[in-house]
Amino acid sequence: MLLWRQFVMEWRLYSRDRVAMFWTFAFPVVLLLGFGTIFRDGGGPKLSVVRVQSPVPTPRDAALDQALKDLHLQVQSLPKDEAEARWSRGETAAQLEPEGEGYRLRLNSYLMAQAGATAGLVNQAWLVAQARLSGAPEPQRIPAQVESPGHKRSTNYASFLLPGLLGLNLVSMGLFSVGMVNVSYREKGKFRRLAVTPLPKWIFLLGQVLHRLTVTVVQAAILLLVGRLVFGIQNQGSFLDLLLIMTLGTGCFMAFGFALSGFAETSEGYAAISNLVFFPLMMLSGVYFTLDAAPAWLQRAVAVMPLAPFIRTLRAVFNDGAGLAGHGLGLLIVLAWALAAFALAVRRFRWA
Amino acid sequence: MSVPALRIRGLRKAFPKVVAVDGVDLEVARGEVFGLLGPNGAGKTTTLEIIEGLTTADAGEIEILGLTWEKAGQEIRSRIGVQLQSTSLFNKITPREALDLYGSYYPKCRTSKDLLQLVQLEDKADAYHITLSGGQQQRLALALALVNDPELVFLDEPTTGLDPQARRSLWDVVRRMKGEGRTVVLTTHYMDEAEALCDRLSIMDHGQVIATGTPASLIADLELPSVVELTFEGAAPDPAAFAARLGQAVEPRADLWELPTPDPKALLPRLLEAAEAAAVPFQQVHIRRATLEDVFLHRTGRSLRE
Repeated sequence: MLLWRQFVMEWRLYSRDRVAMFWTFAFPVVLLLGFGTIFRDGGGPKLSVVRVQSPVPTPRDAALDQALKDLHLQVQSLPKDEAEARWSRGETAAQLEPEGEGYRLRLNSYLMAQAGATAGLVNQAWLVAQARLSGAPEPQRIPAQVESPGHKRSTNYASFLLPGLLGLNLVSMGLFSVGMVNVSYREKGKFRRLAVTPLPKWIFLLGQVLHRLTVTVVQAAILLLVGRLVFGIQNQGSFLDLLLIMTLGTGCFMAFGFALSGFAETSEGYAAISNLVFFPLMMLSGVYFTLDAAPAWLQRAVAVMPLAPFIRTLRAVFNDGAGLAGHGLGLLIVLAWALAAFALAVRRFRWA
Repeated sequence: MSVPALRIRGLRKAFPKVVAVDGVDLEVARGEVFGLLGPNGAGKTTTLEIIEGLTTADAGEIEILGLTWEKAGQEIRSRIGVQLQSTSLFNKITPREALDLYGSYYPKCRTSKDLLQLVQLEDKADAYHITLSGGQQQRLALALALVNDPELVFLDEPTTGLDPQARRSLWDVVRRMKGEGRTVVLTTHYMDEAEALCDRLSIMDHGQVIATGTPASLIADLELPSVVELTFEGAAPDPAAFAARLGQAVEPRADLWELPTPDPKALLPRLLEAAEAAAVPFQQVHIRRATLEDVFLHRTGRSLRE
């Protein structure tokens, strides 16, 4: 009863701050519209190479250009000085230049992921071109296909983006917004008056978590609706499973935010602490790059972190239509973190 | 009613740079309006916050309604009412909502309607907190302190920053609390407020209680319960030479001289004669009873407002 009143009041006060509420709901939609539009046609970011034109084009140049085209690499053919200027601006990932009897590739050290992949394709093209010039049989390429861990071959990049956005939004809301609001309210003395009432801390905190939880659900619903109407992205799994995962994830990362806010005296201090937690959480989650090269102890530690199982399960349900059956351990890890973080939050919470 | 509303022994609290409370003893009877009077920084607010459970003391014993924080924290919270020095509520909560919400935290609560009426905020019942004037916010804070029908109410500087009219209306609310049989403990640095409201009071300075009693007894204990004032047009001249000639202490204020005396009737003819002879350009002569301000001045050598 007390919890319900607290929850209702949180929503009522929240709904009065129209500007904050609008942006909370609009921001992920704006992100989705932006990324979805950039990568609208097919399979994610395209690879491109800057081709420095030879002073006198030879048959070899023509064969290489044809092979590059056949391998679907975007080729930007520029005179030497223009190519150099573009390189200096840092816009070029890989540059192919004629040198002596052959060619040379320059790879941008700031854009190694794209540059490395481009270099592989350019080398393939060069092998094809050499075979064609000498009249030898064309080298065979091994066919590759893009597929999710759940064996889905959607060509719509935005549909892979959407669960990532849902997850990222939830983590940043928990770690940054919620915790920061909490610290700044405490700094301004907004909780002091509550400290002299018999209201238990856990009810106050749980009321806030529940409020944020419902905010996230509304947010996710809007995002799903926009994704469906604008990009035709469909949830492949059950909405109930999705709701369950989102609830667990929100609970976990909100509790994280509240727990961290108990360790910071000021908003500035909180900004530092939350970044300290956020970046390792993101970098070591395995969401952006695999950790195969990391030491074994680090891999074991990372395996019990909450972000990776959360995003993995979210994607499995949303993109691959999987059930929750195979993800029990992951969900259990998230739940364990949620409970531990909430307990720590209650323990560390101070009214003033 | 054998258990006092509040009993404190040897309360002490040191901060890194200052000893805020330095061995305070207090005892407040049920139904009393008790004041802590002292200048800013005397330790009044720290004392109150320790009693309210907001700050922990370094040493000392506190009994509130016969209960201690260690054994009965939740019961104390539900039986006391607190107005903080500054009550910061959420900007967009209304007085009615705030009273209903805070009331819901207690086992026993009064209706928001009654409380709004008590502090005369009915016409602002549904306005956002941020739109209320300073006086209205203070009145709401006072209503919040009464939301659980408390036996003991703590008010920390309830009228600081208010205009005279708003102060009077707050005083009325405090008197009504007493009329309802509540015990009230308040802090103030206004000696007129202490005199007008308090049955008994303690004067605090540098973290210590320097005198305790009824306003009348504190003044009567002064050996010089009257003050003769000479007022000047513009700044008062230096009285040193005149004081020596008169054989009587003369304390200069901004635009007047104060002469504390046990016997104004005997002093007056001598004073007028001497002033005439020295051609002191005074405007008027007043005789007034000594106030708590004079008590503080006499005990500390400083004015309350300094």
